[in-house]
Amino acid sequence: MSAGNATRWPKMTGREEFRFLADLVFTRSSGDETIVTLHDVHSGTTRFANNQVVQNVDTRRGTLAITVAFGRRHGTASTTDFTAGSIHDTLARAERIARISPEDPEYLPPPEPFPFVARETARPETTAAGPARRLEYANEAIGHCRMENLLAAGVVSTSAASVGIAANNGLFGYEARADARFSLTVQAGDATGWSAAAHRSVDHLKIQERTLAAIAKAKRSREPIELPAGPYPVIFEPSAVAGLWTWLMWSLDAKSYDKGTSPFAGKLGTQIVDDRLMLCNAPNHTDLLGVGLTSEGLPSMPSTWIDHGVLTQLAHDRFTAQTHGVQDLPTLDAPVLSVNGAACSNLQDLIKRTDYAILVTNFWYIRTVNPIDLTLTGMTRDGTFLVKKGEIVSAIKNFRFHDSPLRAFQQIDAATGPMEAVTAETGKMLAPAIVLPEFNFSSVTRF
Amino acid sequence: MNSPTWDEFAELALKGIRASGAEYGDIRIQDSRTEHIEGEDRRIASIRDLKDVGFGVRVLYHGAWGFAASSVLSLEEVPRVANLAIEIARGSASVALEKVRLVPEPVHRDRVITPYRIDPFTVPLEKKTDLLLNTMETLHRQSGIARSSASLWARRDHKLFVSTEESRVEFDLLAGQGDCTATALHEGRFASRSFNTPHLRKGYELIEEADLLREASRVAAHATEKVKAPAVDAGQYDLVLDPEHLSLTMHESCGHPTELDRVLGYEANYAGTSFLTTDKLGSFRFGSRHVTLVADNTEPETLAATGYDDDGVACQRWDIVRDGLFVGYCTNREVAPKIGEVRSRGSNRADGWGSVPIVRIANIGLDPGTDTLDQLIAGVKRGIYIEGHGSYSIDQRRYNFQFGGDAFWLIENGKRTHMLRDVIYHGITPGFWNSCDGVADRTFRRRYGFITCGKGQPGQSGWMTHAASPARFRNVQVIRGEGHV
Repeated sequence: MSAGNATRWPKMTGREEFRFLADLVFTRSSGDETIVTLHDVHSGTTRFANNQVVQNVDTRRGTLAITVAFGRRHGTASTTDFTAGSIHDTLARAERIARISPEDPEYLPPPEPFPFVARETARPETTAAGPARRLEYANEAIGHCRMENLLAAGVVSTSAASVGIAANNGLFGYEARADARFSLTVQAGDATGWSAAAHRSVDHLKIQERTLAAIAKAKRSREPIELPAGPYPVIFEPSAVAGLWTWLMWSLDAKSYDKGTSPFAGKLGTQIVDDRLMLCNAPNHTDLLGVGLTSEGLPSMPSTWIDHGVLTQLAHDRFTAQTHGVQDLPTLDAPVLSVNGAACSNLQDLIKRTDYAILVTNFWYIRTVNPIDLTLTGMTRDGTFLVKKGEIVSAIKNFRFHDSPLRAFQQIDAATGPMEAVTAETGKMLAPAIVLPEFNFSSVTRF
Repeated sequence: MNSPTWDEFAELALKGIRASGAEYGDIRIQDSRTEHIEGEDRRIASIRDLKDVGFGVRVLYHGAWGFAASSVLSLEEVPRVANLAIEIARGSASVALEKVRLVPEPVHRDRVITPYRIDPFTVPLEKKTDLLLNTMETLHRQSGIARSSASLWARRDHKLFVSTEESRVEFDLLAGQGDCTATALHEGRFASRSFNTPHLRKGYELIEEADLLREASRVAAHATEKVKAPAVDAGQYDLVLDPEHLSLTMHESCGHPTELDRVLGYEANYAGTSFLTTDKLGSFRFGSRHVTLVADNTEPETLAATGYDDDGVACQRWDIVRDGLFVGYCTNREVAPKIGEVRSRGSNRADGWGSVPIVRIANIGLDPGTDTLDQLIAGVKRGIYIEGHGSYSIDQRRYNFQFGGDAFWLIENGKRTHMLRDVIYHGITPGFWNSCDGVADRTFRRRYGFITCGKGQPGQSGWMTHAASPARFRNVQVIRGEGHV
């Protein structure tokens, strides 16, 4: 497959093109305040199953959204058509909404102009990667599985985006972004093994390493034994940790906190988990997918959210930030969870030091059971094992869990340093593999 | 110069596909408009009017697929995207082991229009925001209500489907929904209760008929009762489940496992596979004799009743489970022949122009029985009556599930008594459906729709409606939905 000129896409909306479009809106707008946001995405995914490509797609979608405010009345309209006539129509629709919408007591004018940090959010090798590169990676994963007489199912995807925000008070931010993702489920009969990666650079997906890891897990997952449900010591791989912590991070919103409908109500400034745990935002980290600007037109900055187990930040919108007197809104676009004094260098070390535990590769379908204490449920998936005396001794049938990360992470027995953690249902973070003394599995399934 | 018509764009794309030697191709051009008004805590938090226009081209070349899509609808872009789809399909074909073969479908040339009485996009915005503000005020009139929300949603899709097989279907589809939620606080606890109109293909009459203000008073009272209610004691209970609650239970445990692409491994890396393997078709006892599940993509007003799917296959009605026996899958033109079926069930849908169609759950509904709701409850010595949606989770083969709900009442000696909180039940799908020993009659049948059913990579949101009458299940394991210590 070539990537000849005949099939090259129109280039993404550039900084000056976005400025031109925004100015086109500002000169026509009758609003007190006008905000224009750009989200122009070109993405492709090669999907495979049963050792062959089953879906191979490439999509370009540009979206321009216009928010107009008259006093505290505001409205938003958007379009995927960037012609002048369509943009004028979109502005008229936003103005029409804003004129007749009720006053919003929480409306705030756009943020003051800010010199956003320029981060390397778009790697050229990823932006240039097309269907041929994706197919090459898919074939590599499939090839390894075929050689082992196993079945591969997975995706290779790449995405390039132009993201921007501009307001008629002079606020202007623009950023080119790109990311690449790979995930693979290897089926060995009824047994499965999984691995995943996400990176700004398509060159860092480590297809071979990830594929061999998934193959090893699938082979090891054969002939699982059934253990009774109940509390067990556990070793969570980074993806399993990320699955639980993502829900914790999603529950940090300040408005719920203020209204008393948050699991953290009254706990700001208090210890909520083991005092060695740290949760930070690290948008400059080259292995994460941090951004320079947020959808609200604010910068993403390094920040600490949980400091030695103490909750130090809430997730604010601009209104609650003003209420709380918070000047710089913390973001969590590039989370890093770490354990101070973590003594183990890798997962194998953790296993060797463990006398008895359930090893969990990943969780699936995590949902809130009780938002008051953040009790969650979900299933183990694609590699659940029994560890005895420092070794994996058997695969086990998958468990459903029923527990709260706020309880489970009160005490950590051992941990590694932060590693890449990608889950099927959430984004990417850095998280350690962790040993916990007890985690509650409430039922067992049939495989 | 006049801009080209959609048909001219379509012909431009199909001409290139035919010339390429591909065995099949289609184009979907779509113009979608969504209006979403969201109220939160007595204010209108946002009003959004979103337009999404674009087209997607699908090509089957030497037994392998390629798909490309763009939001730039122009004379230059359409052939470029069509050529890209061809090129991608050629790449897929170069590594294909088993070639895709589509089951035949008659040529359709048709126009599908959602009937409606009131166009939601012409209803004055003030009327809608007033309704939401009044609804939230009504919620707050109940003592103890700390938070409120209310929203209205409407969507119109103009779509043109044209294939190299000469099918041409034009769609003008409408859908809407409205809801409100009250959250009560009591002694450091909080609890929510919601009212949702179903998502249906109707006009604004759906909202007017629902009477949000009346429902707001009811759910606010329930929220304050729920937050003070005793937590459930874990144990085995008989359950009587209302149609809204059942819509989610059916969706997860009956709908997804009957998607044939999952069964065949297409979703193994994400949404999962299915315990309903092909050897079970026609012989597996999925449920008791009271359980008949029918897929009906022809029922008016339901979300999957779009006349034709995105394969250009006419919508149909068929059995999934008949008197407890598993007898049918949801299929498309690609997977149907893999189990020897000669026609697709017409369940291949994309969530927009930018997505490739995949097998989706049909409008699967539970056939009514002969009881009344009171009779179902009267037959329970110790049980729980559950309404609405709450927590939900199920394993990737759809065996082990766990559900909460929105409101729970203890049943004692055949009578519904007081509310409970923190009720969670779990089970294994076939065991649960085999414990069903009664379904209420047709007069109790209600329909609930889903527009956020996640599946596929990249992820897509599927739309479908599930109808049911209340049903009773015996000896289901119930646990308390809070931390285990």
